[in-house]
Amino acid sequence: MHDIIIIGGGHNGLVAACYLAKAGLKTLVLERREIVGGAAVTEKLHPGFRCSTLAHSAGPLSPRITKDLQLKRHGLEIIRPEVRVTALNRDGHSIWIYNDAARTASELQKVSAHDARSYPEFEKSFARIGRVLAPLLQMTPPTIEKPAAGELWNLGKLGLAFRGLGKKDAFRLLRWGPMAVADLVAEWFETETLRACIAARGIFGAFAGPWSAGTSAGLLWQAATDGHAAGPALFVKGGMGALTQALAQAAREAGVQIRTGVEVAAIKINDNKASGVVLTSGEAISARAVVSNADPKTTFLKLIDPIDLDPDFLTKMRNYRSTGSAAKVNLALAGLPTLPALNGSGNAAKLSGRIHIGPDIDYLEHAFDAAKYGNFSPQPYMDITIPSLSDPSLAPQGAHVMSIYVQFAPYNLKDGDWNSRREEFGDTVINTLSDYAPNLKELIVARQVITPLDLEQTYGLSGGHIMHGEQSLDQMFAFRPLIGWAQYRTPIGGLYLCGAGTHPGGGVTGGPGANASREIIKDFK
Amino acid sequence: MDPIVTASDYKYASESSANAIPKQSMSNKYDVVVIGGGHNGLVNAAYLARAGKRVLVLERRHVLGGAAVTEEVFSGFKFSVCSYVVSLLRPEIIRELDLPRHGLEILPLDGTFTPMPGGDYLWRVNDHAKTRREIARHSKLDAEAYDEYGKAMIEMAHFVKPIMSMTPPDPTSLNPKGLMDLLFLGRRFQRLPAEDKYNQVQLMTMSAVDFLDQWFETDVLKATMSASGIIGTFLGVRSPGTAYVLLHHYMGEIDGAFRSWGLSRGGTGAISNAIADAAREAGAQIRTSCPIAKIIVKNGQAKGVVLANGDEIFANVVSSSVDPRLTFMKMVGEEHLPGDFADDLKRYKYRGSSGKVNLALDGLPDFKSLPGAGPHLRGAISISPSVEYMERAYDDAKYGRFSRRPYIDIVIPSLTDPSVAPPGKHVMSCFVQYAPYNLKEGAWDEKREEFGDTVVDTIAEHAPNIKDLILHRQVLTPLDLEREFGLSEGNIFQGELTLEQLFFLRPAPGWAQYRTPIRNLYMCGSATHPGGGIMGASGRNGAMQILKDFGKR
Repeated sequence: MHDIIIIGGGHNGLVAACYLAKAGLKTLVLERREIVGGAAVTEKLHPGFRCSTLAHSAGPLSPRITKDLQLKRHGLEIIRPEVRVTALNRDGHSIWIYNDAARTASELQKVSAHDARSYPEFEKSFARIGRVLAPLLQMTPPTIEKPAAGELWNLGKLGLAFRGLGKKDAFRLLRWGPMAVADLVAEWFETETLRACIAARGIFGAFAGPWSAGTSAGLLWQAATDGHAAGPALFVKGGMGALTQALAQAAREAGVQIRTGVEVAAIKINDNKASGVVLTSGEAISARAVVSNADPKTTFLKLIDPIDLDPDFLTKMRNYRSTGSAAKVNLALAGLPTLPALNGSGNAAKLSGRIHIGPDIDYLEHAFDAAKYGNFSPQPYMDITIPSLSDPSLAPQGAHVMSIYVQFAPYNLKDGDWNSRREEFGDTVINTLSDYAPNLKELIVARQVITPLDLEQTYGLSGGHIMHGEQSLDQMFAFRPLIGWAQYRTPIGGLYLCGAGTHPGGGVTGGPGANASREIIKDFK
Repeated sequence: MDPIVTASDYKYASESSANAIPKQSMSNKYDVVVIGGGHNGLVNAAYLARAGKRVLVLERRHVLGGAAVTEEVFSGFKFSVCSYVVSLLRPEIIRELDLPRHGLEILPLDGTFTPMPGGDYLWRVNDHAKTRREIARHSKLDAEAYDEYGKAMIEMAHFVKPIMSMTPPDPTSLNPKGLMDLLFLGRRFQRLPAEDKYNQVQLMTMSAVDFLDQWFETDVLKATMSASGIIGTFLGVRSPGTAYVLLHHYMGEIDGAFRSWGLSRGGTGAISNAIADAAREAGAQIRTSCPIAKIIVKNGQAKGVVLANGDEIFANVVSSSVDPRLTFMKMVGEEHLPGDFADDLKRYKYRGSSGKVNLALDGLPDFKSLPGAGPHLRGAISISPSVEYMERAYDDAKYGRFSRRPYIDIVIPSLTDPSVAPPGKHVMSCFVQYAPYNLKEGAWDEKREEFGDTVVDTIAEHAPNIKDLILHRQVLTPLDLEREFGLSEGNIFQGELTLEQLFFLRPAPGWAQYRTPIRNLYMCGSATHPGGGIMGASGRNGAMQILKDFGKR
């Protein structure tokens, strides 16, 4: 008899498994695919080419998790390029965001003296606010009904930290949360490409454009994670799969049993209590508790008989918004594309972070407009990495892999379906990118197009939503996935959630897995 | 076609110096000078006068009311030029100022008629059973949900109501009163039943359409309901933060004093006149055609105002009901403001997004989808046939042009109140969104007629006879609203009603308590909590703050 069954061997499931096993609980992880890792996997793209199929940067993983689980010893090697984001522009005025604010500012000097002056304060302000928000990520969201003394204490500490920010930053935090990110960047910067490049983080993974209110929250969340408003460039040697492999190794060492190629058909529930799972093969496995790393909709609407849930809860769960708008295109390239925007200078180093395609705010908003009406963007926003630049093991000598994250690709298409439009979509992406890299097409050895439907069918993400559900203000923190059910527990006794559909949400951070395991261990004591 | 609103002669006499030596005399010293005779300025004055203060209201235009004004723009036709319906006027103000005695009469405006392009329509009225049958015609499920929805919204409105008349606390200060107020809000939220908490969180953060998607399936129903969420904002029906305004429709209902939407007999100007009457009765003096050039500031303290003609008027307190840009940037001068405050004011967003077209008609429009002069013309007529239509209207505005097919909210007040038009004739008020203040191409002065034509063409798609009925047309662009009515960038709410500009952030972080960094200078207009609409709450809350501070002298 197992103490715990974890449904899904994504990174959060594995993190939870490690902590639970370390606490002495006999834990079994069940993964539907042949490899563990969920959306953080490295797979063969073409003979000789390996690629992080979905997620292409760590969130980052919380340093505490890396340390607790001794992931370095298990082979985790993080690559942190100097440059965080390169924003390409068709007219040659590219923008670079470095980890080092001073360096970013000095590069910005070439484009705008105003922005070069603003940037350091912008980054400092986000870093200060991020420090205040950071404890939230590791916190189990409080109950609102009857907060326990410990919860009040934690909130009190946060309140003090908030006041400690001083009036200016405190009000910034309050103002920025609900603001459209297009407004926020316009308050700080005058260069369109810089505005767009910073704003992009606010719409990453969201069904929203930069003019949608509330998108600045995405920047605040990023700042809470690693002190920056811009997207992180944190790669793993061997691709993102190497991170989950390290986690799997840590888990096994801690005594976790991992089975792959086994799909859970249903969660067994007796007397409103989870007692195990039934596999599609018919095999039944019992356990004292079941922890689902699958997204909330999959968990409650697919794996549980509706009769076991309150109709009101079911309605709310159906209304939980998880319509994805992102897709992936992965390319095996015979060589590094030439980018006129870089003026031929130091290509490799300048491209080793994220590459942002979306030169101005209107471009990003137009890309979103298409999604509102059920079309993919004719000129999509793209977030690209070329991981082989910093990790040559991923491609043959001189060749490269390019991982292209594409928005917007709405799960619900107005015309046709994703299976029949896959290649047309792939062509749209390549054509758009060719505006910035004219010789790209000649270099393509192999191309993999992953549509939102693939994300749902192959990777089990409901609605193809990479964050396990929209991370809007009404689905965050104490409201994730639903108000009253944000503490990793569910209306079914002994059934827990530990995936990105719980606080602190999506991204390869391990936060939900670690927080969930803490609550589960509490209940087992 | 008749000439449009003429460019105003509105000038700030910047040459007249605030530092000039005042020609002080006892006769022009007041306790309070109120800048602007709009409904908030008048409410403010009325409360101050009732408390025994010597009050003077100064209005730039020849007529009182600000944006709540009735004008006979064309002979025999009285237009509610800007604001055209009453919905949120606080019942305590009606009661305390005894407005009915001063001539206020609210007439019911029953229902919303939404014509659809395919020949169908949606017509909701106050008669519950009728509306239910009508919605059931579109969807049985929605008819069921509509009742539930109404109940839930009334619960929510109860929760929000006391916040309207509250001075927003400063969340960053350690002032015990502020902390208690915050705690009060927190506890109130905590005590809500679980279901209401869920709804409240969603209302505060979601888009109107996302919120309504959870309740209804009929597209036109969602489109026309969500329209109230975007009025006066630069947001689309799918923009988060627009759900909250859905509540406003239920605020009136819980007050019980009148229906959620109404018309004021004699136009919206009659509301202002009733308030002015109440203020005068309490002893306030009111002067029109008195543009103010400067607020006199000495040693960080407001001392009075200088009129455009050079006259100086001194007062212990200056209370401004005009928006912050006019108050601080034009009348006070940036040199008197702390740098941070000036920066915050510059960030405060106006971005007007609506225009107004007022028509004098020879008869009644005949709608293709529901012909004849039926009772559907007596309520609001909403051109909001689908969610996609609304969203596309917004898309145009995002990229700097007026909507090619705008959202239009129409009322024909002459059907309910025959006094506003000659016999057999009618006035038609068309609120139009989106009309962005900043156009990407061309200027509003050149585009005014094109904009007016777009509005008429849009209506003609549903009521083709409209073009033959138009006797006169008045087109107000956002630029006209700025020039003629002193609304910066043409924002009808004196600044966008978005979450980051509400409550303790309105109009500037740390200055949401009607006070300003200039001592003895107060704000009492829509740019303060709780914001726009003919509500009067800002004027009243501002007066309470001033009186409280007088008490401390």
